[in-house]
Amino acid sequence: MSRFKAETEVVKVRRRNRVGTALVALCIIALSLCSCANPFRAKSRAPEGGGTYGGEVVVGITQEPGIFDPHTSVAAGDEEILFNIFEGLVKCLPSGEFAPALATDYVISDDATIYTFTLRTGVVFHNGEPMTAEDVVYSISRAAGLETGVPLRDDLSGILSVEATSANSIRIVLESPDAELLPFLAVAIIPRSVADINETPIGTGPFKFQEYRVCESVILVRNNNYWQSGLPYLDRVTFKITPDMNTAFLQLRSGSIDIFPYLDSEKASRIESDYQILSGESNMIHLLALNNDVAPFDNPKVREAMNRAIDRTELIQILMDGAGTPIYSGLSPAMGAYYNESLNNAFPYDPERAVELLTEAGYPDGFRATLVVPSNYRHHINAATILVDQFSRVGIHLSVLTVDWATWLSSVYAARDFETTVIALTSDFSPRDVLSRYVSDAGNNFINYSNPEFDAVFDQIRGEPDEDERILLYHRLQEILAEDSASVYFEDPRNIVAVSKDLSGYVVYPIYVQDMSTVHYN
Amino acid sequence: MNYFLRRILQLIGTLFVVSLITFAAFYIIPGDPARVILGPEATEAQVEALREELGLNRSMLQTFSDWLTGTLRGDLGESLIFRQPVTDLVAQKIPVTLTIAAMSIFMTIIAAFPLGIAAARKPGKFADQLISVIGHFFLAFPPIVLALVITLLLGLTFKLFIAGEYVSYTDSISGFIASLFFPSIAVAIPKIAVFQKFIRTSIIAERSKDYVRTAKSHGLSNMMVMIRHILPNSLVPIITVLSIVASEILGGVLVVEMVFNIPGISRLLIFGIENRDYPLTAGIVLYLAVMTVIVYFVADILHSLVDPRIRLK
Repeated sequence: MSRFKAETEVVKVRRRNRVGTALVALCIIALSLCSCANPFRAKSRAPEGGGTYGGEVVVGITQEPGIFDPHTSVAAGDEEILFNIFEGLVKCLPSGEFAPALATDYVISDDATIYTFTLRTGVVFHNGEPMTAEDVVYSISRAAGLETGVPLRDDLSGILSVEATSANSIRIVLESPDAELLPFLAVAIIPRSVADINETPIGTGPFKFQEYRVCESVILVRNNNYWQSGLPYLDRVTFKITPDMNTAFLQLRSGSIDIFPYLDSEKASRIESDYQILSGESNMIHLLALNNDVAPFDNPKVREAMNRAIDRTELIQILMDGAGTPIYSGLSPAMGAYYNESLNNAFPYDPERAVELLTEAGYPDGFRATLVVPSNYRHHINAATILVDQFSRVGIHLSVLTVDWATWLSSVYAARDFETTVIALTSDFSPRDVLSRYVSDAGNNFINYSNPEFDAVFDQIRGEPDEDERILLYHRLQEILAEDSASVYFEDPRNIVAVSKDLSGYVVYPIYVQDMSTVHYN
Repeated sequence: MNYFLRRILQLIGTLFVVSLITFAAFYIIPGDPARVILGPEATEAQVEALREELGLNRSMLQTFSDWLTGTLRGDLGESLIFRQPVTDLVAQKIPVTLTIAAMSIFMTIIAAFPLGIAAARKPGKFADQLISVIGHFFLAFPPIVLALVITLLLGLTFKLFIAGEYVSYTDSISGFIASLFFPSIAVAIPKIAVFQKFIRTSIIAERSKDYVRTAKSHGLSNMMVMIRHILPNSLVPIITVLSIVASEILGGVLVVEMVFNIPGISRLLIFGIENRDYPLTAGIVLYLAVMTVIVYFVADILHSLVDPRIRLK
């Protein structure tokens, strides 16, 4: 990780000539004026009345949000903020389970084609309008693209129709059985009456949108009519945008940021005594993606050799100070029962075996290839550097090519024009969402993985109503990915968050969100 | 009149070429704004629908000529990412950049003149040597390094300011100026070092002229000779250098904004480039080009004020 080194030079000025003295005096006056007029030190912090209610908090974020329409925004950085403004029929809990939110109850038909929701009564939008069944129908139809034909949320494309069955219940009918649609019904419910939701983001969440200052901050204020009584605690939350991680860290240290997620462990260790350092599984798949269509990566033996050639423990030690879980297939251990534990240590570090496999594959002396990395993620560049070193021990020489995010999206992800790339895959908390990209004809199958058995098992899951059966099938999918060595999966990095010692109630989620509703001053 | 007309034609030509190059660059480098907006998980159908909506399927010449027609009418178009008019976005951010630039120029002038005059008083003597050594020391620092050193030394060690803190001018004007004080210093210091050296040289050259000796022999004090005769006469070359320094300051501000996390024009510019938001980028580039040209233009006018001979040419 990059470190700043301050080299200080002391220049002694002998105040001999008058001009020099005057100048020094001028500077001192200017400096003292400056610190007097420094308004940000006097931030009012005192919670009013009830002790733990009130106050404001600044959360450091590194991505520009850009889009506030909850149905079209897809960047993880948007989701972080929008989680506080919008809610769906169900909502993700810190455990990763989905609990009813704007619905109080739901029933899934036996053939898993009809979902019926009973809506919560008394929920009010931020503009004061009550939430009705029509608003819910409107929101889900809009996200699923029922009127336009182009779904805004691809995961809802299986919805055939949505209708209000009474004043407080709705029914969703699917084209084909799907027992696992629930996580995707966390999609935001928005008022029908708002024409441009991007311009006036109005939801039902614990905080109301107040202001977006481009390149500066997003300001949210307390929703006094929130349906969960007693929440939220804070009056105001400011998400402060600082694209540079090092600058954001400086602000954290100087106290102008109260909560900073996605810290690396090296930085976290430097501020341990001044902050509460919380961490949790991030449910992120960090991998060296191999293009299965391009030689030599079209050879499973080469891919297996690469899996055995790297020392995941060493890699996580260097990259994250050990704060990560080694992985060997496409699903994170954060997924609980869905994760296949038998795959733990599926590829022990074994350089000799790797060389044997390379020899069998026809590359006794190894080979050269290119490793593309998006330049905006320091973490990926660091991982790539360590991987290059580890692979060179078995004769695989990767040359790193950094490209900006827009180029990566177009050339690597969309056009699939690459050999290898380091990336972290995030997803909704749904095993299907994570594994769907390995289906042969999936639009986001950027590694060009193809195995008919995988496709068959994946199809089988969709119609399987029994959860235990589905779990077994998901275990099988992970095994297939490992057997084929689809790519080099190496870690699920821990999400490390620094929280001011004055605050309590912050919870780390296994998805990319900042839930501010439970945060309060001590 | 002829002179002004020629300058304005040059200006229009420059701006046209700058805009054309900006547009061409977006068609040469890979990356698709629709894909950036929709993110990795977007389907082809979604990307295509958005490309159509944003008008990204037009040819480069078509896009450029549409943009040019709009620009001539004063409409720089809408940012693809923010979905706001480019002029509105720039209007929010440009006061920040211009304030830093103005503060830096002000600092450069008020510090460089006394230093240059002091150094020129007795060339080669102690004061001159000292100013020269310190000047060379700071001359070697590019603004980006200076910005980091100031943040670490004055911000984190001496706690004179909060690193990366910024107060919007809509919240508090004094807080705004205060939060831009150190960034301006980071930009100004290397320029002070250059500029004072130039002032020193100009004054020394001017002082050796005959009229100065005449003035002194008339019994005028050194101070009077400096203020009445030497300074005004050395201003012409000094203004030329100041206009160059001022345009360099604009470049320095763009870099320093990034280090101090100041949401000025450079954040917007980099965001525009990274996300392939061509109307936003082209609009900002146009503004920056206009500002640079204006700086030189103002220098020309100042010249003619200081030196009546220039108007005659």
